[in-house]
Amino acid sequence: MTADPISQFFADLAAPGHLATFEGHSATLRFDVHDSGQVQHWYVAVSNGDVTVTRQNAVSRQNKAADAVIHVGRPPFEAIVTGRMNAMAGLLRGVLTCEGSMAALVMFQRCLPGPPDSTGRVAPIRSQTVMAQRRPT
Amino acid sequence: MSDQLVQILEGNTFVVSDDRGDIEASRTDPTGLFSFDTRFLSRWVLTVDGQRLTALSTDDMQYFQTRFFLVPGRGTVYVDAKLSVIRQREVADGFREQLRVLNHENLPVDLTIRIEAASDFADLFEVKDALKKKGTYGNELQDGCLVLRYQRETYARETWISSTEPARVDEKGLTFNITVPPHGEWSTELDVVASEGPADGPQAGPENGPENGPIGVRGQGRRRVREDMAHGLQKWLQKVPTLECDWQAVGQIYRRCLTDLAALRFATLTMPGRALPAAGLPWFMTIFGRDSIFTSLQALPFTAELASTTLLALAERQGTRIDDFRDEDPGRILHEVRYGEMTAFEERPHSPYYGNADATPLYVVLLDEYERWTGDTKLVRELEQAARAALNWIDEYADLQGNGYVSYQRRNQKTGLENQCWKDSWDSISYRNGELPGFPRATCELQGYAYDAKVRGARLARQVWQDNAFADRLEKEAADLKRRFNRDFWVEDGEYFAVAIDADGRKVDSLTSNIGHLLWSGIVEQSKARSIARHLLGPQLFSGWGIRTLAEGEARYNPIGYHVGTVWPFDNSFIAWGLRRYGFKDEAACLVAGVMEAAEVFHGRLPEAFGGYQRSTTRYPVQYPTACSPQAWSTGAPLLMLRAGLGLEPQGENLIVDPALPLRFGHLQILDLPGPWKKMDAFGRGRVDTDRLVWRKLGGK
Repeated sequence: MTADPISQFFADLAAPGHLATFEGHSATLRFDVHDSGQVQHWYVAVSNGDVTVTRQNAVSRQNKAADAVIHVGRPPFEAIVTGRMNAMAGLLRGVLTCEGSMAALVMFQRCLPGPPDSTGRVAPIRSQTVMAQRRPT
Repeated sequence: MSDQLVQILEGNTFVVSDDRGDIEASRTDPTGLFSFDTRFLSRWVLTVDGQRLTALSTDDMQYFQTRFFLVPGRGTVYVDAKLSVIRQREVADGFREQLRVLNHENLPVDLTIRIEAASDFADLFEVKDALKKKGTYGNELQDGCLVLRYQRETYARETWISSTEPARVDEKGLTFNITVPPHGEWSTELDVVASEGPADGPQAGPENGPENGPIGVRGQGRRRVREDMAHGLQKWLQKVPTLECDWQAVGQIYRRCLTDLAALRFATLTMPGRALPAAGLPWFMTIFGRDSIFTSLQALPFTAELASTTLLALAERQGTRIDDFRDEDPGRILHEVRYGEMTAFEERPHSPYYGNADATPLYVVLLDEYERWTGDTKLVRELEQAARAALNWIDEYADLQGNGYVSYQRRNQKTGLENQCWKDSWDSISYRNGELPGFPRATCELQGYAYDAKVRGARLARQVWQDNAFADRLEKEAADLKRRFNRDFWVEDGEYFAVAIDADGRKVDSLTSNIGHLLWSGIVEQSKARSIARHLLGPQLFSGWGIRTLAEGEARYNPIGYHVGTVWPFDNSFIAWGLRRYGFKDEAACLVAGVMEAAEVFHGRLPEAFGGYQRSTTRYPVQYPTACSPQAWSTGAPLLMLRAGLGLEPQGENLIVDPALPLRFGHLQILDLPGPWKKMDAFGRGRVDTDRLVWRKLGGK
């Protein structure tokens, strides 16, 4: 429907309806994504692993209570949902702020992807190489 | 340089100053006010009429509170002092300092009191490595406060300084022009708040002044009531079992350990009001998977709160994805969390960093041990997914060589950790001839932890998760791992287990304390256990105080080498537990004696490590110089030694007590040990002549 990575991310998140990594957890989060003067909202509800995502653009529903309200600009959030920026680092950096429950945000970040270039593999290193590196000192 | 003092509170906020209370940090000098791994004050200097002060005495009242008694001037001048100055400082989200000036003369006195303040906002990593800052500084006056500010893109940190008495505020400090009446007193309170700074730009949240917490926690309130802290310490000490012992030092060591554990309690942002043990004061006041787990295990018979918080906090941040920079995999338990600027900009991987190979299996070990000491099956159910993910990590992600063993090799080759086991220094794992193995490395204790995790995971699966098929599978895998391990790691000509298997399948054949952890994990076949115990208490490994990390005679052995010869109290406490597990009561008692006697020498506060010199050579344990004291797992070591000495073992609703204590203890009793049995008392009498045993074991040396 759209090439927007944020919409895509939330659509993928909601599609299975259930995420094992959220089992035993329940929380609601509202994402306020700031984009050139406009704010777009996504509302995520987790109930013991069941996930629903709704869009909330109507002004009257903007303040619907959420355990955590996340404020973030569009470019950094695009980086976060595609694994190019770490959410917790982003929080420390101030590109993303969390009002309310930090626990909800820490739970949520579990569903974010890792960096696209991470393979989980690295070539073995021989003993000779290790020794050669250490010898000068 | 004057003596340094450390104060601490609320996890990761602490002050290091000289004995006058002043801070004059250089870029690499680790003094200052720190919070969330960031230095918020690097200069804090008090003068009276332009003169520095001299310390008469300092009083560490509580771990979060210090009082400095000062007089103006230097050297012998203070003999005639007509004035005294008292600074009382308490750490909160920053600190609060009460400044009192006392006039001892019959005449009023006019004075200029000046506090100079500045901050370099260094990340702890920058202090360690002397790196340059990338942002900009700006100080300003706002609402009568001095605000020190640092900004790099959206990253902002601020220090707010204010006083209760009117001051002339400029960009470098506060000045008070005061008159103190004859025999009178003047005082003010200085308030220093570490803050995240105002949010601006498109993502502006609610109003964010200094009334908000420092990092990402807007609207969660900032000040803790200080009365709560003193009260909290009291309550903590009242809740733990009471101990009495004929050997008086034991009681003192016990109290010291509990007070230090209280100081090391660390509350995470997500679980306010709950505490887990941070790794060490002050530089490691953060979550370390390994250290928090080991310390929780040591303290379990005395307090279970640290364990439950550790289990919850580590589950919350358990790995879920492949991230090479952070060495993260699904199911992996974190290594270290940091909050400073370099972590924020992903110049360091600590958000969190996952590079360890032991915390994940140890997580399951702790969960099981916790249940045995509390009967809290509710938490075990709650953490079922986390435990299953951890067990899955062992087989799915940790077997880097495809040989059925847990190995490690960092994927972050720049800022990741090379050695991902507890002996994490560069030369800690070596062959007898001193050569270093390549990577991946499968160190032996990791296989023990993996074995224990499977055995304990099977018990939890059967008894709590009601999944017999999973339990059967884990038990089968454990038995298979044990059989293979005893075959593949055994060094025939030495009759002990190799410290590791290298990338070529070769045994890394040096003799190390790691073999002691294997007893604790239960992976050692009965037929090999005696040989292991003989090595542990033999002259190559045993110094008389404890077991050396690396045996005397190995090429890299050095009695003051970090992991290549020193004796670690934490290491010894787990080995003592392991010796008990295999029935070597007298041998365990020798370790109990050595470590408790060392603790007595250090007034109850054991260092991280001490020299591996032969006990008869130095008489006193030689402290290895480390930056952190107290260190959590050293603090926990005497507690685990008490457990090992008394042979405490939970068994369903019963607590087994099977003492084998060194003679020196005389009578020992611990009252009100909590558990599924509600409260139980344990008694023991020292009957093992450890002095004679040690003398014999060390060949009469």
